[in-house]
Amino acid sequence: MSMLAALRVLEIADGLTDFGGRMLAELGADVAVVLPVTKANRARTLAWHHGKTVIAPDDAEAIRALAAKADVVLDGQREGDRFGLDKAVSDKTIYIRVAPFSANGPYAGRPATDLTLFALSGLMHVTGEPDGPPLKFPGQQAYALTGIQAATVALLGLYARRRTGKGQKADLSAFQCATLSNYREAIMYEWTGRIGRRRGNMLVRGKSGVRQIWECKDGFVTWSMIDNPSMMRAVVSVMEEKGAAGELSHIDWNNTLVADTPQETIERWQGIVAAFFANHTREELGAWSLEKGWGLSVICSPQDVCDSEHLKARGLFVEVTDEETGKTVSVPGPLFRSAQMDTPRRTLAKPVPASSFTGW
Amino acid sequence: MGALDGLKIADFSWVGAGPRATKDLADNGATVIKIESRKRLDLGRMSPPFAGDPKDVDGSAFFAQTNTSKRSVTVNLSDPRGIEIAKKLVAWADVVVENFGPGFMERIGLHYQALRKIKPDIILASVSVAGRTGPLSGFRGYGNSAAAHSGHAWLTGEPGSPPHMPPLAYGDVVAPMFLTVAILAALEHRARTGEGQHVDVSQIEPMVHVIADLYAQDEAKKTGNDDIDFLIHGVFPTQGDDHWIAIAVENETQAEALKRELGISSLDRDAISAATSAHDKFALFDRLAAAGVPAGPVLDGKNVLENPELAAAGHFVKLDHPVLGPSNMPAPPYVLHGTPGKVNRAPRLGEHNREVFIDMLGLEADEIEILIAEGCLA
Repeated sequence: MSMLAALRVLEIADGLTDFGGRMLAELGADVAVVLPVTKANRARTLAWHHGKTVIAPDDAEAIRALAAKADVVLDGQREGDRFGLDKAVSDKTIYIRVAPFSANGPYAGRPATDLTLFALSGLMHVTGEPDGPPLKFPGQQAYALTGIQAATVALLGLYARRRTGKGQKADLSAFQCATLSNYREAIMYEWTGRIGRRRGNMLVRGKSGVRQIWECKDGFVTWSMIDNPSMMRAVVSVMEEKGAAGELSHIDWNNTLVADTPQETIERWQGIVAAFFANHTREELGAWSLEKGWGLSVICSPQDVCDSEHLKARGLFVEVTDEETGKTVSVPGPLFRSAQMDTPRRTLAKPVPASSFTGW
Repeated sequence: MGALDGLKIADFSWVGAGPRATKDLADNGATVIKIESRKRLDLGRMSPPFAGDPKDVDGSAFFAQTNTSKRSVTVNLSDPRGIEIAKKLVAWADVVVENFGPGFMERIGLHYQALRKIKPDIILASVSVAGRTGPLSGFRGYGNSAAAHSGHAWLTGEPGSPPHMPPLAYGDVVAPMFLTVAILAALEHRARTGEGQHVDVSQIEPMVHVIADLYAQDEAKKTGNDDIDFLIHGVFPTQGDDHWIAIAVENETQAEALKRELGISSLDRDAISAATSAHDKFALFDRLAAAGVPAGPVLDGKNVLENPELAAAGHFVKLDHPVLGPSNMPAPPYVLHGTPGKVNRAPRLGEHNREVFIDMLGLEADEIEILIAEGCLA
């Protein structure tokens, strides 16, 4: 059986809860979702809402009736409660109001989207090239992070309900969700007075910076010359075998602190590594990394990810059919590996009017 | 009262990917025993910033933020007697959490089948870069490895630009959130069936999941700051050095409001930039919000720490710490009104040895003193 089989979840989606509802559906919950008034593109809708029952909100009273029967209500309406859910839920319901900001703080009620929340998180300020504008992460990370926290709150509420027999209300702030993910910048300012800036692909630690992205024969890899002597020795030993180590052979990595090494010396060392990487393919470098423990990773394109033998072996991608268009798309399915999970429904369902929905 | 009062966690995890999940549980009332060792220090205790001496194992603010509300014991897992004590903690626990390198739990005899013999309904929660199965299961990497293997780095940046790494170990953020969900779901399953299980969280897979909307497209592409669902979606300069505001316009009503507030006639990016450049980012945020336009100033670390909304929401809780002194610790981003939980300071290394080994596990005080002295509980 699935972990959350028969758990009834009503989700009013508008970006903030979308992935949370999806996680609960993937774990086996019966998720009925009302989609946003402003329609997202179809691909985005399929990604976040497959496996759910899509409810068309033709009758507010019918939506309230679903809320009354739900174990969990994920209320992600960014512009206020248009259904009157607050009064509809039962005392057994875990009612989670997910909003851009806290319920009573100075930003309460302000409009927000994924981008504006990500800007507020402090992460955007440090992402991008030093001479360019702040850059967002791919996709909609503030929404995704908020969705995961919404699923977490639902499960916390369930655990508590088993003990107390009661549901409860909860408030979740998307601004806080996005900011919580930024574990470095506020703390660095608090303790050092330093304000982080954009460094591109340079990893700056201590007095110097090291590269994170390297070109190889057929693409890019990521690896950094950090203070890990065993890893450095493992890389240099292969470079020696290939006659490409140069002065790196003579460095005592146990007694060398890269973070305190002058930048011009690091640049010289990195030049030797760059020439070595440039002569080898992603496959060669990735295989050495796996075998020798280099900590190097091949930079995968989306197609590489879809074609990954590793991810195929773990069953990450699943085929999902859009019931309205008949189109089938490959998207990530299982959240993690467990022997206790059945395959949930792999469709993006056609909407069912709330007034005629009899599933609950 | 916390949501997880009564839940017992034996936490063998270290650095970021495991500890952030067990922080979630501890802040909500679970009793989390963090099993550490002076012989193999949690690298989080050696991670900056520090309150003073970097060699002080209790002086890392990074560690303190990542390990709130937990208790710490020291157990040397390279000593067979240490393993026996660890097994007693397993017998006590509902959930065992670990993020060791490949094969470590097997080598010390604490793999899932061994744990089941100690406690049949135990939940083992593992998190690793690539997961415990599959061709890459032996991969040794870091939080940013998942950004490479998931397509995240490839998809970051403007079209045609080289890959761009996130400015922090984002895999160490997303994966523990999945681990928390996995643990809580496994607990619900156990409550229904009486069965434990092994949940195996990979860092790569969560990083793919959070960009599932890009994978659902016919071809996943880099878009920089743009988004096809919006009329305007980008950052614009404001007054001062490296100050910016993000603006996202979802519909025509917002578009008209933006034009009105900025005094411009079209949604031309250059016209918007020219107009925003004349404004302070916070004042413009206030003004656009009042007009119904989604906007957000690009905050830096100082702005985040001093933000009035975060302060009002209790995002940081000021806690007294024996080495750090009064310092800000992140609280959960939610309030469960019936079971609000409480954030307490992170433990000093081995702070709860006697409380756990003697009072909780019922071991003899003399025996414990000997084991501590001989480096077994160290």
